[in-house]
Amino acid sequence: MNRAEIIETTKRFLSEEFEVDPNTIEPENNLQETLDLSSLDYVDLVIVIEENLGFKPTAEDFKSVATFEDFYQMVEAKMAE
Amino acid sequence: MLVNKENILKYIPQRAPFVMIDALIDANETSFESSFLIEQDNLFLADKCLSESALIENIAQTCAAGFGYVATQNGEEAGGMGFIGAISKLEVLGTAEVGNLIQTSIKVLSSFGTIHLIEGVARCNETDLLTCQLKIVLA
Repeated sequence: MNRAEIIETTKRFLSEEFEVDPNTIEPENNLQETLDLSSLDYVDLVIVIEENLGFKPTAEDFKSVATFEDFYQMVEAKMAE
Repeated sequence: MLVNKENILKYIPQRAPFVMIDALIDANETSFESSFLIEQDNLFLADKCLSESALIENIAQTCAAGFGYVATQNGEEAGGMGFIGAISKLEVLGTAEVGNLIQTSIKVLSSFGTIHLIEGVARCNETDLLTCQLKIVLA
């Protein structure tokens, strides 16, 4: 899956799961604020990532994730493992 | 059986009269099983039937015991505090009475640090009584 496919796929499932406008999911935007995630919501995020991207991220993987750009980089790194 | 009634308090923070499991039957990283006999003096009885809230507590305490047991197998301490962060997909399908044995199964669906999403089923005589998903936060 290349970067464009990752962006397209994540925009679809994140907007559906967290009920946000897909247009708000932009690389420079903050992931937690845009998706309105509480700490409890991250277990739901793990599930939709596993269902749609095929890997199960850990809390450690999210330490460097602030924006969607960070998120895409984390996804690329995990999918390359 | 992994943990009997005499030793279950080592793995859960609750104390009598709020203990809602007797024994941990099985436990691994992704699933737990417990048993619980409903006795006459249970605080959560109404007309000899165990309340739904007690079954939810039974599921939560099965998680506490399961996570605690797995922690000890990994050389860590058990019996720490935990909290129910959210309850969802709750279905009440039946009731259980004094003298019934509740058998509870837990499947860990997802984890993020110390937060876990679990799916729990409390059964009696192979009939589902209550199913739900809980977000459990381990302190």
